[in-house]
Amino acid sequence: MKEIIRASIAILIVVALLFYAVSFLEKSSATSSDGGSITVFNWGEYIDPEVIAQFEEETNIKVVYETFDSNEAMMTKIEQGGTSYDVAMPSEYAIEKMKENDLLRPVDLEKIPNLTNIDPYFLDLPFDPGNEYSIPYFWGTVGIAYNPSLLDGQTFESWNDLWDPSLKEEVIIVDGAREAIGMGLNSLGYSLNSTNLSELREATDKLKTLGPNIKAVIGDEIVEMMRREEAAIALTWSGQAADMMFVNENIDFSIPEEGSNLWFDNMVIPKTTDNPEGAHEFINFMLDAEVAAQNTNYVGYSTPNKAATELMDSEIVEDERFYPPEELRERLEVYKNLGPEMLGVYNELFLEFKMDMKK
Amino acid sequence: MGKLSKSAKIYLAFVFFILYAPIFYLIFYSFNSGGTMSSFDGFTMEHYAAVFSDTRLIIIVLNTIIVALLSALISTAIGVLGAIGIVFLRNRNMRKAVLSLNNILIVSPDVIIGASFLILFTMVGVKLGFASVLISHIAFSIPIVVIMVLPKLQEMSSSLIDAAADLGASKRDILTRVIIPYIKPGIFAGFFLALTYSLDDFAVTFFVTGNGFSTLSVEIYSMARAGITLTINALSALIFVVTLGLVVGYYFFNQRARQPVETGGNKL
Repeated sequence: MKEIIRASIAILIVVALLFYAVSFLEKSSATSSDGGSITVFNWGEYIDPEVIAQFEEETNIKVVYETFDSNEAMMTKIEQGGTSYDVAMPSEYAIEKMKENDLLRPVDLEKIPNLTNIDPYFLDLPFDPGNEYSIPYFWGTVGIAYNPSLLDGQTFESWNDLWDPSLKEEVIIVDGAREAIGMGLNSLGYSLNSTNLSELREATDKLKTLGPNIKAVIGDEIVEMMRREEAAIALTWSGQAADMMFVNENIDFSIPEEGSNLWFDNMVIPKTTDNPEGAHEFINFMLDAEVAAQNTNYVGYSTPNKAATELMDSEIVEDERFYPPEELRERLEVYKNLGPEMLGVYNELFLEFKMDMKK
Repeated sequence: MGKLSKSAKIYLAFVFFILYAPIFYLIFYSFNSGGTMSSFDGFTMEHYAAVFSDTRLIIIVLNTIIVALLSALISTAIGVLGAIGIVFLRNRNMRKAVLSLNNILIVSPDVIIGASFLILFTMVGVKLGFASVLISHIAFSIPIVVIMVLPKLQEMSSSLIDAAADLGASKRDILTRVIIPYIKPGIFAGFFLALTYSLDDFAVTFFVTGNGFSTLSVEIYSMARAGITLTINALSALIFVVTLGLVVGYYFFNQRARQPVETGGNKL
């Protein structure tokens, strides 16, 4: 019995010491927070910590920073309440859903003068007309990452290049229904947001003929496989392609001329906000040219901030693979929320395509 | 136990290699200046420096340990009393029913437990944060402690208690001087299992964290999209070394403490 009591006391002492250490660290890292505090909910590793420190220093608003790993998980937590999130960074389709579920508070654009820094091309998009609820944060595309050193001179200007018979078992496809079916639709010249069943059927049938060229349908492992040169070609997001190219200089990325998907992460203010003033101030701060440039250099995705790109390394912002020129951007499409029923159709067709590959 | 045959030794070595290889692989790359786990470019300590300069990460690690220690301690106390209660339940069906309820909690998926806690906390109006995480960790650890302690209690002969009672021990004496010393190994096992469960848990914790309070598992999972940095490798290496140190320390402490306890058993 004595031993148990002794052990318990020892544990309590350790806990007390740790508590003291935490409060000490919190005190030393916190700036005077007479401006109140805001809670920011973002993807992991999706902001430069320096930027947060800078914001706290300039505005005296303390930032409580939390991270999530999927749009769905983030929505659940915001919907349930319990924490008063002031700013969140969902993807475009999630914003549509959040709007439907009445989770968002309209953004007062007058309080965000830095909005003028954003390239008008990225404003007033179908998922949020007039930017009533959301301000763009980062963006990217879907395209083809390929390794020329493993191929004999092929390039990928068109989706149809993937159907080349010489590419037997070389192509990896990202495991996403909308990305894969979308490629089928794009290669036929249809819209990515097609709800026309005969178009969708045609796209799926065309995808099935790609079967012999497909090596795998997988998720995040793509980056590692491409880095290790285990595969030559991958249909993937530009962010993943950038990760691959960072390590393996042989890899190249292209957005086929028929067009592709343009995705977005945006800053929104959930209804749960406690400090809407602070939230607006934070969003405005993130749009500042210098801040956005620094943050973009850290995160590595493409920024919609035109003023920031002028401050950044020209080698990065002139890279047409990640900042496609206007004539190509016109062919890019943002996913629309097609509703659960249509999404079901996409998923079913994608499953049909995957099952067909086994033959 | 007899000596191990050669093939048994090889097999054992192989199993340990499989168990430890990923950990050492991860630690190896924590010294990589290349920035990723795909190729080793050169030796650097910068990832360790990054761990110590990231105050937010350190606070998260400390919070994780605080929650693990506290929740393991409290759930052990509750779980031991619960196990004793179950064993001494007179009604056989009742005992079976309580035990089944306990086991259901062990097998039910963490995601469901987490979601139910989230709903409960927001309904009652508890602010999510340290308290909500601690409460839910205690809750999912209790059934585990019960399961660890129960076999020890069942193996204890009831004549021990009868003898103590005959010699004039009060109920309190029976509990603190007979039962608890007898089941001590089970109590410690329950405590350590609860500790690791708490350190490990992602699913439940994710739902009930909030207001800036987070644990390491939640933090690492959310890095999945933008890529897990080698800072996490460095952090894992540090945690591994500290754990190793604790285990070795505990072992030496136990070796030294054993002799006097065994010769003077009446000191218990």
